[in-house]
Amino acid sequence: MEKSIESIWKEGFLKKDALVAPKINDLYNQKSKHIVDKFKRMFKINLIAIVIFSLVFMVITTINGLPIVGISWFLILIGLVVVNKKLMNGLEEIDYHANSYTYLLSFNKWLQEQLAINRKMARIYYPLFFLSIVVGFWFVDAEGIPMGERLVGEVLYGFPDLYLVNGVPLIGIVLILIIVSMLALFGGRIYDMDVYIVYGRMFNKIEELITDLEELRS
Amino acid sequence: MSSDFYNTSILPYAGIILKLCRAYTNSQEDFEDYYQEVCLQIWRSRENFREESQWSTWIYRITLNVCLTLLKKKKNNTQHFASDYLPLEQAEENSAFADENLNELYKAIRQLSEIDRAVIMLYLEEKTYQEIAEIIGTNPNNIGVRINRIKERLKILLDGKVN
Repeated sequence: MEKSIESIWKEGFLKKDALVAPKINDLYNQKSKHIVDKFKRMFKINLIAIVIFSLVFMVITTINGLPIVGISWFLILIGLVVVNKKLMNGLEEIDYHANSYTYLLSFNKWLQEQLAINRKMARIYYPLFFLSIVVGFWFVDAEGIPMGERLVGEVLYGFPDLYLVNGVPLIGIVLILIIVSMLALFGGRIYDMDVYIVYGRMFNKIEELITDLEELRS
Repeated sequence: MSSDFYNTSILPYAGIILKLCRAYTNSQEDFEDYYQEVCLQIWRSRENFREESQWSTWIYRITLNVCLTLLKKKKNNTQHFASDYLPLEQAEENSAFADENLNELYKAIRQLSEIDRAVIMLYLEEKTYQEIAEIIGTNPNNIGVRINRIKERLKILLDGKVN
Protein backbone atom coordinates (compact mmCIF):
# COMPACT_ATOMS: atom_id res chain seq x y z
CA MET A 1 0.00 0.00 0.00
CA GLU A 2 1.48 3.30 -1.05
CA LYS A 3 -0.71 5.87 0.62
CA SER A 4 -1.52 6.11 4.29
CA ILE A 5 -5.16 5.88 5.31
CA GLU A 6 -4.88 9.42 6.64
CA SER A 7 -3.90 10.79 3.24
CA ILE A 8 -6.55 8.75 1.41
CA TRP A 9 -9.09 10.23 3.79
CA LYS A 10 -7.92 13.81 3.39
CA GLU A 11 -7.46 13.72 -0.36
CA GLY A 12 -10.71 11.87 -0.94
CA PHE A 13 -12.75 14.49 0.81
CA LEU A 14 -10.97 17.35 -0.94
CA LYS A 15 -12.67 16.35 -4.19
CA LYS A 16 -15.73 18.26 -5.28
CA ASP A 17 -19.08 16.67 -4.42
CA ALA A 18 -17.49 14.25 -1.96
CA LEU A 19 -19.93 15.39 0.68
CA VAL A 20 -23.40 16.09 -0.62
CA ALA A 21 -26.12 16.01 2.00
CA PRO A 22 -29.23 14.14 0.95
CA LYS A 23 -32.46 16.09 0.97
CA ILE A 24 -34.48 15.74 4.13
CA ASN A 25 -37.77 14.52 2.78
CA ASP A 26 -40.95 12.90 3.74
CA LEU A 27 -39.56 11.32 6.89
CA TYR A 28 -42.55 12.14 9.01
CA ASN A 29 -44.90 10.86 6.34
CA GLN A 30 -43.07 7.56 6.24
CA LYS A 31 -42.97 7.33 10.02
CA SER A 32 -46.65 8.16 10.46
CA LYS A 33 -47.80 5.62 7.93
CA HIS A 34 -45.42 3.00 9.25
CA ILE A 35 -46.67 3.34 12.82
CA VAL A 36 -50.35 3.29 11.81
CA ASP A 37 -49.78 0.24 9.61
CA LYS A 38 -48.02 -1.44 12.50
CA PHE A 39 -50.96 -0.69 14.76
CA LYS A 40 -53.43 -2.08 12.21
CA ARG A 41 -51.41 -5.28 11.98
CA MET A 42 -51.23 -5.65 15.76
CA PHE A 43 -54.94 -4.92 16.11
CA LYS A 44 -55.82 -7.57 13.52
CA ILE A 45 -53.52 -10.15 15.13
CA ASN A 46 -55.06 -9.34 18.50
CA LEU A 47 -58.59 -9.97 17.21
CA ILE A 48 -57.55 -13.28 15.63
CA ALA A 49 -55.83 -14.26 18.90
CA ILE A 50 -59.03 -13.51 20.84
CA VAL A 51 -61.08 -15.75 18.51
CA ILE A 52 -58.56 -18.60 18.83
CA PHE A 53 -58.31 -18.18 22.59
CA SER A 54 -62.10 -18.13 23.07
CA LEU A 55 -62.51 -21.32 21.01
CA VAL A 56 -59.70 -23.17 22.81
CA PHE A 57 -60.95 -21.94 26.17
CA MET A 58 -64.48 -23.12 25.39
CA VAL A 59 -63.25 -26.59 24.45
CA ILE A 60 -61.01 -26.91 27.52
CA THR A 61 -63.63 -25.67 29.98
CA THR A 62 -66.31 -27.90 28.43
CA ILE A 63 -64.05 -30.95 28.68
CA ASN A 64 -63.40 -30.04 32.33
CA GLY A 65 -67.08 -29.75 33.20
CA LEU A 66 -67.37 -25.96 33.02
CA PRO A 67 -69.31 -25.45 29.77
CA ILE A 68 -71.18 -22.42 31.10
CA VAL A 69 -67.88 -20.55 31.67
CA GLY A 70 -66.48 -21.54 28.28
CA ILE A 71 -69.62 -20.76 26.29
CA SER A 72 -70.23 -17.45 28.10
CA TRP A 73 -66.64 -16.31 27.58
CA PHE A 74 -66.80 -17.39 23.96
CA LEU A 75 -69.99 -15.39 23.34
CA ILE A 76 -68.70 -12.30 25.16
CA LEU A 77 -65.35 -12.40 23.37
CA ILE A 78 -66.88 -13.00 19.95
CA GLY A 79 -69.19 -10.04 20.62
CA LEU A 80 -66.09 -7.98 21.38
CA VAL A 81 -64.38 -9.12 18.20
CA VAL A 82 -67.44 -8.29 16.08
CA VAL A 83 -67.72 -4.78 17.55
CA ASN A 84 -63.98 -4.14 17.14
CA LYS A 85 -63.96 -5.51 13.62
CA LYS A 86 -66.69 -2.99 12.76
CA LEU A 87 -64.70 -0.24 14.48
CA MET A 88 -61.67 -1.25 12.47
CA ASN A 89 -63.56 -0.67 9.24
CA GLY A 90 -63.60 3.00 10.24
CA LEU A 91 -59.83 3.00 9.78
CA GLU A 92 -60.23 2.46 6.06
CA GLU A 93 -62.05 5.79 5.82
CA ILE A 94 -58.97 7.69 6.95
CA ASP A 95 -57.35 9.36 3.97
CA TYR A 96 -54.02 7.64 3.50
CA HIS A 97 -52.88 10.37 1.15
CA ALA A 98 -53.44 13.23 3.58
CA ASN A 99 -50.40 14.97 5.05
CA SER A 100 -48.81 13.32 8.10
CA TYR A 101 -50.35 15.69 10.61
CA THR A 102 -53.93 15.32 9.29
CA TYR A 103 -53.42 11.59 8.90
CA LEU A 104 -52.15 11.13 12.46
CA LEU A 105 -54.86 13.37 13.89
CA SER A 106 -57.57 11.39 12.08
CA PHE A 107 -56.03 8.16 13.26
CA ASN A 108 -55.78 9.43 16.82
CA LYS A 109 -59.42 10.55 16.73
CA TRP A 110 -60.45 7.08 15.54
CA LEU A 111 -58.27 5.51 18.23
CA GLN A 112 -59.76 7.61 21.03
CA GLU A 113 -63.32 6.81 19.89
CA GLN A 114 -62.47 3.15 19.66
CA LEU A 115 -60.92 3.18 23.15
CA ALA A 116 -63.94 5.01 24.59
CA ILE A 117 -66.37 2.41 23.17
CA ASN A 118 -64.21 -0.46 24.45
CA ARG A 119 -63.89 1.22 27.83
CA LYS A 120 -67.70 1.33 28.11
CA MET A 121 -67.99 -2.28 27.00
CA ALA A 122 -65.36 -3.31 29.56
CA ARG A 123 -67.65 -2.08 32.32
CA ILE A 124 -70.15 -4.67 31.15
CA TYR A 125 -68.01 -7.59 30.10
CA TYR A 126 -65.69 -7.73 33.12
CA PRO A 127 -68.69 -8.25 35.46
CA LEU A 128 -70.11 -10.75 32.95
CA PHE A 129 -66.83 -12.70 32.94
CA PHE A 130 -66.96 -12.86 36.72
CA LEU A 131 -70.65 -13.83 36.86
CA SER A 132 -70.11 -16.57 34.29
CA ILE A 133 -67.32 -18.00 36.46
CA VAL A 134 -69.57 -17.93 39.54
CA VAL A 135 -72.52 -19.51 37.73
CA GLY A 136 -70.24 -21.96 35.91
CA PHE A 137 -68.70 -23.22 39.14
CA TRP A 138 -72.08 -23.28 40.88
CA PHE A 139 -73.34 -25.87 38.40
CA VAL A 140 -70.19 -28.00 38.23
CA ASP A 141 -71.07 -31.55 39.08
CA ALA A 142 -69.79 -32.46 42.54
CA GLU A 143 -70.59 -36.11 43.11
CA GLY A 144 -74.10 -35.96 41.70
CA ILE A 145 -75.17 -32.52 42.89
CA PRO A 146 -74.17 -29.00 41.72
CA MET A 147 -71.06 -27.71 43.50
CA GLY A 148 -72.92 -24.56 44.61
CA GLU A 149 -75.57 -26.51 46.45
CA ARG A 150 -72.97 -28.77 47.98
CA LEU A 151 -70.96 -25.77 49.21
CA VAL A 152 -74.07 -24.12 50.68
CA GLY A 153 -74.84 -27.37 52.49
CA GLU A 154 -71.37 -27.51 53.97
CA VAL A 155 -71.45 -23.83 54.99
CA LEU A 156 -74.87 -24.27 56.60
CA TYR A 157 -73.47 -27.19 58.56
CA GLY A 158 -71.00 -24.78 60.21
CA PHE A 159 -73.28 -21.71 60.28
CA PRO A 160 -76.87 -22.94 60.53
CA ASP A 161 -78.29 -19.43 61.16
CA LEU A 162 -77.26 -18.07 57.73
CA TYR A 163 -80.05 -16.19 55.95
CA LEU A 164 -80.83 -17.75 52.56
CA VAL A 165 -82.43 -16.20 49.47
CA ASN A 166 -83.71 -18.92 47.12
CA GLY A 167 -81.24 -21.34 48.65
CA VAL A 168 -78.23 -19.02 48.38
CA PRO A 169 -76.68 -17.38 51.48
CA LEU A 170 -77.43 -13.65 51.50
CA ILE A 171 -73.84 -12.89 52.46
CA GLY A 172 -72.68 -14.68 49.29
CA ILE A 173 -75.09 -12.71 47.13
CA VAL A 174 -73.93 -9.45 48.72
CA LEU A 175 -70.26 -10.37 48.15
CA ILE A 176 -70.90 -11.21 44.50
CA LEU A 177 -72.85 -7.98 44.03
CA ILE A 178 -69.99 -5.98 45.56
CA ILE A 179 -67.45 -7.61 43.24
CA VAL A 180 -69.73 -7.14 40.21
CA SER A 181 -70.27 -3.47 41.13
CA MET A 182 -66.53 -2.93 41.56
CA LEU A 183 -65.83 -4.52 38.19
CA ALA A 184 -68.53 -2.37 36.59
CA LEU A 185 -67.10 0.70 38.29
CA PHE A 186 -63.44 0.03 37.53
CA GLY A 187 -63.87 -1.98 34.31
CA GLY A 188 -62.80 1.03 32.26
CA ARG A 189 -59.61 1.44 34.24
CA ILE A 190 -58.83 -2.27 34.08
CA TYR A 191 -59.33 -2.05 30.32
CA ASP A 192 -56.95 0.94 30.12
CA MET A 193 -54.25 -0.98 31.99
CA ASP A 194 -54.83 -4.02 29.84
CA VAL A 195 -54.65 -2.11 26.58
CA TYR A 196 -51.61 -0.09 27.62
CA ILE A 197 -49.65 -3.26 28.28
CA VAL A 198 -50.12 -4.27 24.64
CA TYR A 199 -50.27 -0.94 22.83
CA GLY A 200 -48.77 1.51 25.35
CA ARG A 201 -45.48 2.08 23.52
CA MET A 202 -47.27 2.59 20.25
CA PHE A 203 -49.70 5.10 21.77
CA ASN A 204 -46.78 7.05 23.20
CA LYS A 205 -45.05 7.00 19.83
CA ILE A 206 -48.15 8.38 18.10
CA GLU A 207 -48.49 11.14 20.70
CA GLU A 208 -44.80 11.93 20.34
CA LEU A 209 -45.13 12.20 16.55
CA ILE A 210 -48.16 14.48 16.83
CA THR A 211 -46.34 16.70 19.35
CA ASP A 212 -43.32 16.89 17.05
CA LEU A 213 -45.50 17.82 14.11
CA GLU A 214 -47.37 20.43 16.12
CA GLU A 215 -44.06 21.93 17.12
CA LEU A 216 -43.02 21.99 13.48
CA ARG A 217 -46.20 23.75 12.49
CA SER A 218 -45.94 26.41 15.19
CA MET B 1 -37.67 20.35 11.73
CA SER B 2 -37.42 24.03 10.92
CA SER B 3 -35.21 24.89 7.98
CA ASP B 4 -33.50 27.53 10.16
CA PHE B 5 -32.33 24.93 12.62
CA TYR B 6 -31.25 22.62 9.81
CA ASN B 7 -29.33 25.34 7.99
CA THR B 8 -27.59 26.79 11.01
CA SER B 9 -27.06 23.87 13.34
CA ILE B 10 -26.92 20.78 11.17
CA LEU B 11 -25.83 21.66 7.66
CA PRO B 12 -22.44 23.15 8.71
CA TYR B 13 -21.74 19.80 10.41
CA ALA B 14 -23.32 17.61 7.72
CA GLY B 15 -19.86 16.34 6.75
CA ILE B 16 -19.52 14.61 10.11
CA ILE B 17 -22.89 12.93 9.72
CA LEU B 18 -22.32 11.95 6.11
CA LYS B 19 -18.92 10.42 6.76
CA LEU B 20 -20.15 8.37 9.72
CA CYS B 21 -23.39 7.26 8.06
CA ARG B 22 -21.46 6.05 5.03
CA ALA B 23 -19.40 3.78 7.27
CA TYR B 24 -22.48 2.06 8.63
CA THR B 25 -24.46 1.59 5.44
CA ASN B 26 -23.98 -0.35 2.25
CA SER B 27 -26.58 1.23 0.05
CA GLN B 28 -27.58 4.76 -0.94
CA GLU B 29 -31.11 4.11 0.31
CA ASP B 30 -29.91 3.10 3.79
CA PHE B 31 -27.45 5.97 3.84
CA GLU B 32 -30.22 8.49 3.19
CA ASP B 33 -32.45 6.89 5.83
CA TYR B 34 -29.64 7.02 8.39
CA TYR B 35 -28.85 10.61 7.53
CA GLN B 36 -32.46 11.69 7.94
CA GLU B 37 -32.85 9.82 11.19
CA VAL B 38 -29.68 11.42 12.57
CA CYS B 39 -30.90 14.90 11.62
CA LEU B 40 -34.21 14.21 13.26
CA GLN B 41 -32.58 12.95 16.44
CA ILE B 42 -30.31 16.00 16.60
CA TRP B 43 -33.34 18.22 16.29
CA ARG B 44 -35.23 16.24 18.92
CA SER B 45 -32.30 16.24 21.34
CA ARG B 46 -31.40 19.89 20.84
CA GLU B 47 -32.86 20.92 24.19
CA ASN B 48 -30.67 18.38 26.01
CA PHE B 49 -27.49 20.01 24.77
CA ARG B 50 -25.87 21.52 27.86
CA GLU B 51 -22.82 23.11 26.25
CA GLU B 52 -20.56 20.90 28.38
CA SER B 53 -19.04 19.74 25.12
CA GLN B 54 -18.76 21.22 21.65
CA TRP B 55 -21.77 21.10 19.38
CA SER B 56 -19.73 19.01 16.91
CA THR B 57 -18.94 16.45 19.64
CA TRP B 58 -22.62 16.33 20.45
CA ILE B 59 -23.38 15.67 16.79
CA TYR B 60 -20.76 12.91 16.61
CA ARG B 61 -22.33 11.26 19.63
CA ILE B 62 -25.87 11.40 18.32
CA THR B 63 -24.79 10.22 14.87
CA LEU B 64 -22.96 7.24 16.31
CA ASN B 65 -25.80 6.34 18.62
CA VAL B 66 -28.35 6.52 15.82
CA CYS B 67 -26.15 4.50 13.45
CA LEU B 68 -25.52 1.81 16.05
CA THR B 69 -29.21 1.68 16.99
CA LEU B 70 -30.37 1.42 13.39
CA LEU B 71 -27.75 -1.20 12.66
CA LYS B 72 -28.91 -3.20 15.67
CA LYS B 73 -32.53 -2.92 14.57
CA LYS B 74 -31.62 -4.10 11.13
CA LYS B 75 -29.66 -7.01 12.53
CA ASN B 76 -32.80 -8.07 14.35
CA ASN B 77 -34.77 -7.75 11.16
CA THR B 78 -32.47 -8.97 8.44
CA GLN B 79 -35.37 -10.16 6.30
CA HIS B 80 -36.64 -6.65 5.81
CA PHE B 81 -33.32 -4.85 5.80
CA ALA B 82 -31.12 -7.22 3.95
CA SER B 83 -29.37 -4.32 2.23
CA ASP B 84 -27.26 -3.72 5.31
CA TYR B 85 -25.77 -7.16 5.02
CA LEU B 86 -24.85 -7.27 1.42
CA PRO B 87 -22.31 -9.91 0.61
CA LEU B 88 -18.90 -8.37 0.19
CA GLU B 89 -18.92 -8.70 -3.59
CA GLN B 90 -22.23 -6.79 -3.73
CA ALA B 91 -21.14 -4.23 -1.15
CA GLU B 92 -18.13 -3.49 -3.28
CA GLU B 93 -20.41 -2.27 -6.03
CA ASN B 94 -21.42 0.62 -3.79
CA SER B 95 -19.06 3.40 -4.81
CA ALA B 96 -20.33 6.55 -3.21
CA PHE B 97 -17.33 8.78 -3.84
CA ALA B 98 -15.59 10.04 -6.94
CA ASP B 99 -12.24 9.12 -5.39
CA GLU B 100 -11.60 5.40 -5.90
CA ASN B 101 -9.12 5.21 -3.04
CA LEU B 102 -11.68 6.65 -0.68
CA ASN B 103 -14.23 4.08 -1.85
CA GLU B 104 -11.71 1.32 -1.14
CA LEU B 105 -11.00 2.77 2.29
CA TYR B 106 -14.71 2.85 3.12
CA LYS B 107 -15.14 -0.74 1.95
CA ALA B 108 -12.33 -1.73 4.29
CA ILE B 109 -13.78 0.30 7.16
CA ARG B 110 -17.16 -1.39 6.71
CA GLN B 111 -15.48 -4.71 7.35
CA LEU B 112 -14.44 -3.62 10.83
CA SER B 113 -16.51 -4.12 13.96
CA GLU B 114 -19.07 -1.40 14.71
CA ILE B 115 -16.99 0.17 17.47
CA ASP B 116 -13.75 -0.05 15.51
CA ARG B 117 -15.48 1.79 12.68
CA ALA B 118 -16.39 4.59 15.07
CA VAL B 119 -12.88 4.75 16.53
CA ILE B 120 -11.11 4.95 13.19
CA MET B 121 -13.56 7.48 11.76
CA LEU B 122 -13.04 9.76 14.74
CA TYR B 123 -9.29 9.29 14.46
CA LEU B 124 -9.38 10.20 10.77
CA GLU B 125 -11.42 13.26 11.71
CA GLU B 126 -8.43 14.24 13.86
CA LYS B 127 -10.18 13.92 17.17
CA THR B 128 -7.90 13.56 20.17
CA TYR B 129 -7.82 10.28 22.11
CA GLN B 130 -9.60 12.10 24.92
CA GLU B 131 -12.36 13.26 22.57
CA ILE B 132 -12.69 9.81 20.97
CA ALA B 133 -12.99 8.24 24.42
CA GLU B 134 -15.52 10.88 25.43
CA ILE B 135 -17.66 10.36 22.35
CA ILE B 136 -17.60 6.58 22.54
CA GLY B 137 -17.65 6.43 26.31
CA THR B 138 -14.45 4.46 26.89
CA ASN B 139 -11.09 4.88 28.59
CA PRO B 140 -8.67 7.13 26.62
CA ASN B 141 -5.70 4.94 27.64
CA ASN B 142 -6.74 2.11 25.35
CA ILE B 143 -7.61 4.24 22.35
CA GLY B 144 -4.05 4.56 20.98
CA VAL B 145 -3.43 0.82 21.03
CA ARG B 146 -6.81 0.19 19.47
CA ILE B 147 -6.16 2.69 16.67
CA ASN B 148 -2.83 1.07 15.83
CA ARG B 149 -4.48 -2.34 15.68
CA ILE B 150 -7.26 -1.00 13.42
CA LYS B 151 -4.76 0.71 11.14
CA GLU B 152 -2.83 -2.54 10.78
CA ARG B 153 -6.05 -4.33 9.88
CA LEU B 154 -6.95 -1.65 7.34
CA LYS B 155 -3.50 -1.88 5.78
CA ILE B 156 -4.02 -5.59 5.23
CA LEU B 157 -7.52 -5.06 3.83
CA LEU B 158 -6.31 -2.31 1.49
CA ASP B 159 -3.16 -4.04 0.38
CA GLY B 160 -2.87 -3.76 -3.40
CA LYS B 161 -6.20 -1.99 -3.75
CA VAL B 162 -5.10 1.64 -3.53
CA ASN B 163 -2.54 3.58 -5.43
